[in-house]
Amino acid sequence: MSAVKSFIDYKAKTGMQCGSYFIDLPPLKEGEQYRFHFDATKCIGCHCCEVACNEQNNNPSDIKWRRVGEMEGGEFPNTLLLFLSMSCNHCIDPACLKGCPTNAYEKMDNGIVFHHDDVCIGCQYCTWNCPYDVPVFHEERHIVTKCHMCYDRIENGQTPACVQACPEGAIEIEAVNVKEWVERDMKKEGNAPNLVDVEITKATTRYTLPKDMPKNLKPMDSELVKPAHKELPLVFMTVLTQISLIGFIALFLGDLAGSFTSLPKPDFSMAFTIFLLSAIGLPLSALHLGRPILAISAMKNVKTSWLSREALALGVFTALMGIVSLMYYFEVDGFLRFLVEFVGIVVGVYGIYAQSMIYRVPAKPTWNRITTTYRFFSTGYIATAILAFIALLKGYGNVSDILLSFSILLGSLQIYLFFESQRFYENNEDYVVKRAKKLLEDNFGIFYKFRKISLPLGAVVFPLFAIVSINAGSDMLGYVFIVLSILTAFLSELVGRMLFYSTALKTGLPGNFFAGSQRG
Amino acid sequence: MIEKIKDFLGLDIKEDKYALVDDPIFGKIAKAKKPDFWVKSTCGYCGVGCGLYIGVKEGKATYTKGDPAHDVNMGTLCPKGLSEHYMLYADNRTLNPKIRKEGKLRDVSWEEAFSFTAEKFKEIQSKYGNRAVAVISTGQLLTEEFYALGKFVQLGLQTNNYDGNTTLCMASAVSGYKQSFGSDGPTGSYEDIAKAEVVFVIGANLADNHPIIVHHLMKNRKNKKIVVIDPRRSKTSQLADIYVPIKPRADLALLNGLAYIIWEQGWYDEKFIKNKTDGWREFVKHIQNYKPGEVAHISGVSTKELYHLAKLYATSEKSLICWTMGVNQSALGTDTVSAINNLAIMTGKIGKEGCAPFSITGQCNAMGTREFGFTSSIPGYRKFESDRDRAEFASLIGVEESLIPKERGYKYAQIVEAIERGEIKALWVVCTNPLVSFPDQNRLRKALKKLDILVVQDAFMSDTAQIADVIFAAATWGEKEGCYTNSERRCNKANKAVNPPALSKSDLDIVLEFSEYFGVRDLLFKDIKEPKDVFEEIRRISKGRFCDYSGMSYEKIERMGGIQWPCNEKYPDGCVRLYGDDMPFNHDDGKARFICADWRPLEEGVCESLPFVLNTGRTVEHFHTRTKTGSIKILDDLAPEAWIDINPKDAKKLEVKNYDRISLSTPRGRVDNLVVRVTELVAPGSVFVPFHYSSQLINSLTNSLFDPVSGEPNYKQTAVQLHSAKVPQGIKLKDEILGAIGYMKEREKEQSGVKEREMNE
Repeated sequence: MSAVKSFIDYKAKTGMQCGSYFIDLPPLKEGEQYRFHFDATKCIGCHCCEVACNEQNNNPSDIKWRRVGEMEGGEFPNTLLLFLSMSCNHCIDPACLKGCPTNAYEKMDNGIVFHHDDVCIGCQYCTWNCPYDVPVFHEERHIVTKCHMCYDRIENGQTPACVQACPEGAIEIEAVNVKEWVERDMKKEGNAPNLVDVEITKATTRYTLPKDMPKNLKPMDSELVKPAHKELPLVFMTVLTQISLIGFIALFLGDLAGSFTSLPKPDFSMAFTIFLLSAIGLPLSALHLGRPILAISAMKNVKTSWLSREALALGVFTALMGIVSLMYYFEVDGFLRFLVEFVGIVVGVYGIYAQSMIYRVPAKPTWNRITTTYRFFSTGYIATAILAFIALLKGYGNVSDILLSFSILLGSLQIYLFFESQRFYENNEDYVVKRAKKLLEDNFGIFYKFRKISLPLGAVVFPLFAIVSINAGSDMLGYVFIVLSILTAFLSELVGRMLFYSTALKTGLPGNFFAGSQRG
Repeated sequence: MIEKIKDFLGLDIKEDKYALVDDPIFGKIAKAKKPDFWVKSTCGYCGVGCGLYIGVKEGKATYTKGDPAHDVNMGTLCPKGLSEHYMLYADNRTLNPKIRKEGKLRDVSWEEAFSFTAEKFKEIQSKYGNRAVAVISTGQLLTEEFYALGKFVQLGLQTNNYDGNTTLCMASAVSGYKQSFGSDGPTGSYEDIAKAEVVFVIGANLADNHPIIVHHLMKNRKNKKIVVIDPRRSKTSQLADIYVPIKPRADLALLNGLAYIIWEQGWYDEKFIKNKTDGWREFVKHIQNYKPGEVAHISGVSTKELYHLAKLYATSEKSLICWTMGVNQSALGTDTVSAINNLAIMTGKIGKEGCAPFSITGQCNAMGTREFGFTSSIPGYRKFESDRDRAEFASLIGVEESLIPKERGYKYAQIVEAIERGEIKALWVVCTNPLVSFPDQNRLRKALKKLDILVVQDAFMSDTAQIADVIFAAATWGEKEGCYTNSERRCNKANKAVNPPALSKSDLDIVLEFSEYFGVRDLLFKDIKEPKDVFEEIRRISKGRFCDYSGMSYEKIERMGGIQWPCNEKYPDGCVRLYGDDMPFNHDDGKARFICADWRPLEEGVCESLPFVLNTGRTVEHFHTRTKTGSIKILDDLAPEAWIDINPKDAKKLEVKNYDRISLSTPRGRVDNLVVRVTELVAPGSVFVPFHYSSQLINSLTNSLFDPVSGEPNYKQTAVQLHSAKVPQGIKLKDEILGAIGYMKEREKEQSGVKEREMNE
């Protein structure tokens, strides 16, 4: 018997897909899609699938679409070493696709979640959304890339690279009936240790796991903690737009109050300052894109993407603020201004809400809390301090008092949220949160301490001193404390926001001892 | 500037660079690397011998892909094989011949390198005798190159102080096979691993080191019991039905113990013993010393488990034992191999489908040098001490019989000792890196300083090349043609896909040209111009021998996807397994011998001041001393430096956690800056460190302790102390440490021995 024949016979007998460059996949029936089957009882952690994938797609070694993770449990000699090879799980409810602001993702008819490279603007929101940490930003290409199950090989009856290369036949392609999977089999066969619950995105990968696994399987990289990206453009963008919103609300209230009480009306300088914050902040966000030139297309997917909604709403909000500023400049007063201001506020509130929803994703447990939304709204306490400064300049000490009181109120909420988050870290057993805590305390210890001290100073102590000084008759001291408050609070919020981003670790693949999860 | 702005704005997503394109053979592949043509070849890393295709684009290798029609790997490759083409473009290639001038290695012409070296060799030989020049080669050249090199060294340079790094890896299997069966030659096939009902894997971590063999091991899985015997809970052990956590180096006792139980229970094959073996009676007497209770005590394997294992092996129809370095790299290596052979011949588990005592080789062509390398034997498995073999070989190659050495020269370690004594003045190292791989590094490095000249012939600037006086810049895999023979005696064809870079040459060309400077080219290589000419000579001189290549040809090898020797008129398509019904054993009486070998406790057991047993080994990402894999980023990123596996119980005592740094010491040396990995994969009292890394040179701790027959080092068990930042003095041995229990008897003796050594230091 010739070698080729014996191989074909062997394959036929066992149904294995490994080794052969050509694959016999049955045509998909109605309601079916392709998916991976991973057999952890066969995987030996040789990393062939990773190398083969990179060779197939010409990806450099730091862009891995397929990765092999490791975990360990039990006690010698009854130790289990478990490997998990994962590329894309081609989910039924893909978080990457839903979140993508440019509609770069497509769920193909055969179930493959495909990424259109040319549409991608490199915003990397999908890398936050995917709870399996699958999409990966390719710096050289300015875009995100990911596994497409070698769709063009499959279409031509060829075996996907990882499946072909696995020497142990641990990776296979199969057809799955979507309905049966979601309703019946997913819970049993779609979960694996140290991965998020399959329910979240309805991942389609089927796992075969060893029987009687030890309970506490520990990822090999559980103590390897690498900070997430600092996202500096986003730090500035979010803080500035959030300040802008509260400032704008204060402006509106001031406008109202000026009409119905003896208080003076806000003026152009106030409106313009508030507008400026957002007008500077919003475009900054484009800097974090891989392809800033295409920033505008971030508004394409208002239907499902919080990022598109944010971009659109805050864009409109800022434009309306610009109009309001002009109205103040040309002293267009009355109902029309109220109306524009009111619409601006509604759109702005929605914008900041949408902004907060971007971060409330299961893949980032430290973000995925309602307090993120509260936090984004209360950051604006700085705005009222800024307005108070302008009011004082104009000689309205009483207006300053009122504005500073609002600063203290919102600032207190911000302080409460900060200490609430400390409690959250203290009591959380989640392995991602624990690692985030380690980052916060070890890698960013100084920043964390600064935040702890600066926040009460900037948000409460200095504004309070300013009120006292103004009422005590020293405007000079009042200026000093307001400026101190603004600077301290602004710096504190920037640091706090930087920590927010850089300690936001992801759920994903339990990683390797040296290479971790091979991301970022 | 414009490019920079464009890049910043993200205008170019480099679609073309990452596009796919159709290849007529392999389907869609990366456009940027699409080969102009594919060259069929064989992998140049380990001894599994996978068939592959090398893709060549514009004269550069851009792809390696598994050959789906090859019986060994059936289209798959390990991660090293998949990325093998990058090896050719590593930044540590030697490129040009070099001579050390004013302390620095300078590029020179071949003419200068050869004449300088030849002068020096001649001068030394005339002053101190021919044997003052020694050669250490490898298991990674092509068979044709081994043959030519051996012939030149033994008959041209006329020194028999010639050995290979195979002595560090397969020598115990060679001498164990010789003891038992009268000749070297791995008896089984991968097919047997696939078809066996019971496979014992002893001291072998196939999953890390031979991933493609696991493919065969996992075939027929439902009807197969896999037993893994290893002190470490290796990746391979995770695949086992039964994992046997044996105490370090208790394997010989365990094997003798299993033999006892098989005898006691009458599970042996009386007919086979009577017809095909010799020495049964003495053997039965011998194994009376290995009663289950005693063996359980020595090995840490319960008597119940021992009976279970013995029954499983002896009473299953198809039982196979395979092993690698855990068995070979031991001061008892040769005897342990023979003990495995004993089990096979007392139960008749040899020469039948699914049955074999089967050594898995480490390097791509360790077999080639064993068969035709002229180190431990005369080419064609001929014995130095046999007048007939010498005469036959001399007449076949047309030289005076007196030219053929009557005995084997120094083995690897003996060569080092002779350098130490000042007896050997010149050393020529071919394609191996003793400065990482040899045990007791401090001693070796001191010895090498005594040399008058160190010549290194290598394709890579290895650690050893860095200290050489002369470099012969060699070609490597993919740049030359010839044969590699794998673990299952399969002679595979490796082909040239690209030209060697710069001035580097194939090892065959280097030998042929260098021989001219000694005036022996006409005598030894008269009509030899290319590898095929050497292969024809190998066919001729192996005719009628056990490793018979006479029925092979390059074309036939390629056509059949490799041929397992013997290949001759009787076995025209090769031979799947040795010692079947029609093949006698190679002792003069045609029978296999029972070997009565005794287990000994560790020469250097754990003691109060050295409370841990250090085990060394490999990881799947790297090959040997990383000269080939160290600069392949996709591999190196996964294992960029050495680490130490420590059991959580010991980590607690040493107050270390993951990613802390720790030091190891023995009376011979110290290794610092090892990353701690706390893991239940090692037993309390034992630690594991990979040996690949020169940055954390673990072989500065291992011992100058060698198997007396094979000369193979005892790498796998070294008593060490660990020094953490918080416990800098290390811990003192208490009885609860598992690794210690077996050696209690020897403890006192060892302690005094160590103290003596310490005082001498």
